[in-house]
Amino acid sequence: MVNKSAQMKNKKIFQLPNKKNGQGMKSKISPASPFAKKAQMKIQQMSFMLLGVFLFFALVGMIIITVKFSGLKQDATDLRDRNAMLLASKLANSPEFSCGEAYGNQKTDCIDEDKVMALKENIGKYENVGKNTNFWGASNIEIRRIYPKYENKTCTSTNYPNCDTIILIDKPISGFDHSNFVALCRKEKYKRYESDSIADAKAKKDDVINICEMGRVIVWYEEVK
Amino acid sequence: MIKNKKGALEFSFTWIFAIIAGMFILFLAIYGVAKFMNIERASQDAKTAMSIGVLTNPLESSFETTKRSMIGLPVETRIYTGCKNLSGFFGEQTIKVSQKTYNEWSTEGVNVSFPNKYIFSENPAEGKNFYLFSKPFELPFKVGDLIYLTSTKDKYCFKNAPNNIKKEIENLIGINPSANENFFTKDFDCPEGSINICFSGGNSLGNDCDIKVNVNSGYVEKDDKKMYYEGDALMYAAIFSNKNDYECQLDRLMKRTGQLSDIYRDKSTFVFEKTGCYSGLDSRLVLLKNNAENLGNSENLNTIYSLAEDIARENDYGVCRLW
Repeated sequence: MVNKSAQMKNKKIFQLPNKKNGQGMKSKISPASPFAKKAQMKIQQMSFMLLGVFLFFALVGMIIITVKFSGLKQDATDLRDRNAMLLASKLANSPEFSCGEAYGNQKTDCIDEDKVMALKENIGKYENVGKNTNFWGASNIEIRRIYPKYENKTCTSTNYPNCDTIILIDKPISGFDHSNFVALCRKEKYKRYESDSIADAKAKKDDVINICEMGRVIVWYEEVK
Repeated sequence: MIKNKKGALEFSFTWIFAIIAGMFILFLAIYGVAKFMNIERASQDAKTAMSIGVLTNPLESSFETTKRSMIGLPVETRIYTGCKNLSGFFGEQTIKVSQKTYNEWSTEGVNVSFPNKYIFSENPAEGKNFYLFSKPFELPFKVGDLIYLTSTKDKYCFKNAPNNIKKEIENLIGINPSANENFFTKDFDCPEGSINICFSGGNSLGNDCDIKVNVNSGYVEKDDKKMYYEGDALMYAAIFSNKNDYECQLDRLMKRTGQLSDIYRDKSTFVFEKTGCYSGLDSRLVLLKNNAENLGNSENLNTIYSLAEDIARENDYGVCRLW
């Protein structure tokens, strides 16, 4: 009785296959009946299974994407590394650094220190022209005197040339670097030292002479994170 | 009978649900894979574009006049070079590539920018192997290296070239030209379909000229457009690029000239204060900067060049050389 009235109120129709004949059959089944419970159970099972499959594939996809993108970052870092390496080997030929013929004949891998100091004063326009990079595609550039060593100080317009390191861009240096040996040339007033040999005595006191010393140009780049 | 057979077409709810959910999952998977492939292609294109830019670093010249190297790519590639003169202070050289996979060209990749490069090429340059050669651009000090990119597929025939150009091209070709060689200086060597570059000193040229170079008036005529030049570096630039890119790159070069003028002026003051040695170029460098930054277009190049020649003379014979 109860079943019948519930069936009347609930006009839901469930289709169940006729197992015997392999044919479907229309019948009205109460949700509380064992058939309905079995069907609900099956749907629940199926949805859990599908959810599981979906989550599994999503997880696998995410792992693949993560691995791929970490590879992409590595590739980008490798390209920066290669750029820094090639840049370090050729930066001395860049017009902002090269000696040209200011110190006699043309020289390869020769950096004009006086010009670099002037560049340092005008560096604003060369900074941040790209995304986190400067005009040359590196995060920073440093020029270090190797020999003779002065006071191991960073160069400013006041202590130059009695200093050893010119840091072009005024921001903390971080990341990795590549370097190349170069000649650092500048013009100076000749001062006679006791240690100077007779050969050096060609110049008189206060004559303007070209001084070339040994240095290193260091190109810094940052890892892509 | 018919009533009974109808049941054979009916599905249970479980099946319908499974099919719909399955289709949804499959659709998502296919969509994801397609998206992923596109990202992969785009990243590959960006990597190639970046590599091309990075590989041009060794072309920075010191005292050599011309340098040449070859880039080989694993698949057919279209290289699009572009110029932006308004971004940043010095503008930007952009490179993007599109590669042929499964006989289909990928959509043009992302633009990779290089503020310190000046590349002149056909747009796009298409092929697997590309020649790059560079020449320093001086006004009167070195401003930058101009890089010329050509595909080995595009054959260039230099007809009636002046001796210095002919000699330079022959030096680039070398004694034993490679199978990929794309520069020819002798008419009988030029393969069919080559791009004919005709040089003249004002004489009328034949009809088979794709690019006309008037060495007396100092202009290159390409696609019925005139590009004015001074010096060989700019002449090659006009030959290998188009009017828009040429003018834009010239504008970028002038901005760098202006900036370098400032640096040399500061150096002059700095050296004078330090040593008492004076170059005497300060006021002319200011003039050079102003002229460079207000050049307008290539037609006005000759005015700045005559000033540059004066400055060069003064620097060469001066006591305190700046460059």
